[in-house]
Amino acid sequence: MSASNAIPIPESGSQTASTSRLTGWLGLVPGLLLLAIVGYAGKFIEQSITRYGKSHHLVLPNIEYVLWAILIGLIIANTTGVPAIFRRGVATYEFWLKTGIVLLGSRFILGDIARLGGISLALVFIEIALALTFMTYLGRAFKLSPKLVSLLSVGSSVCGVSAIIATQGAIEADEEDSSYAIAAILALGAISLFVFPVVGHALHLSDHAYGVWTGLAVDNTAETAAAGALYSDTAGKVAVLTKTCRNALIGFVVLGYAIYWASKGQAAGVQSKGAFLWQKFPRFVLGFLVISLLATVGFFSKPQLLAVGNLSRWAFLLTFAGVGLRTSFRDLSKQGVRPFLVGAIGEVVIALLTLGLVFGADKVFHL
Amino acid sequence: MSATSRYLSLDTWAVLLSLGLALLVRFGVLKIVPW
Repeated sequence: MSASNAIPIPESGSQTASTSRLTGWLGLVPGLLLLAIVGYAGKFIEQSITRYGKSHHLVLPNIEYVLWAILIGLIIANTTGVPAIFRRGVATYEFWLKTGIVLLGSRFILGDIARLGGISLALVFIEIALALTFMTYLGRAFKLSPKLVSLLSVGSSVCGVSAIIATQGAIEADEEDSSYAIAAILALGAISLFVFPVVGHALHLSDHAYGVWTGLAVDNTAETAAAGALYSDTAGKVAVLTKTCRNALIGFVVLGYAIYWASKGQAAGVQSKGAFLWQKFPRFVLGFLVISLLATVGFFSKPQLLAVGNLSRWAFLLTFAGVGLRTSFRDLSKQGVRPFLVGAIGEVVIALLTLGLVFGADKVFHL
Repeated sequence: MSATSRYLSLDTWAVLLSLGLALLVRFGVLKIVPW
């Protein structure tokens, strides 16, 4: 976890320190309000269109609030830009994503997780092996620097930006390489938001099959959740579960690269592999399992489960607003052409391979 | 105390907030959450 992802724990200290900490927390408020307004505006538009269709007896396409929230965010980010006062609060979208995932545990009983998660995990192993191999060869063919190839491979096979940041530290890659890889993954994530639902509908994929496909092929977790939710509520749920399986394996892949680069004398060695894995393991996966366990053993009544599920939906609403607001096409276009090309070719091939895997799994296991 | 041990990761904060919210629902403080 990068330092920028850490939130300071409030502690006793001098008055000056307390005041600056308070200013720090208050500094999040404008951006949080912006996330809430953009997300709620998306929900309001969806509901207004549905109401208008009903009152005028029209059959209008049901466009999920997710798309409206992302579009409003994209328009703001790419026209006026997000003013500095909002940026800290907007950056909390990743925190809301993780909160949403943990609370989503209430909508799965452990049996579902074991079945669907088991199938997903098997597919994730195959996806990671195929993606790592293909991206490595592709990066070499395009003569990218070896460490940039490692970063792009990890980003497209495991879990996007978090994986790239974790790997950058472990293999001592350049800041420039890592920003190229992050930009490529984010740009491709933004594109997949619009492409995946269209392809899913064209192929008449079931909610479960589409969710598993999105969870396997879309790299950044926020975009995975959004691309899933754009298809249907169930698809969003399944996409997040599959993606969580991918996220859970981040430590193993990063460890593999850390050992590889250390063996070449170009990164520090790993002292304790167990401690390394625990340090890289995403804690929100454990939180997700704990909430699911509580739901399974009857800790919550049915109305309470509904309430916890709705809290998860509100957390995702803030996340989707953030996805649009943080996507600046101007910034993304500044990246190098070759890393983007390698990423784009890799993503298309991985999307096709995983689609084949999902079709196969659907035939055998009836996803 | 080292600088890093004074910080909890984003993930940990998300888990703590989620568990806190779930407990508020469980013990009736948050009775209805509309969507």
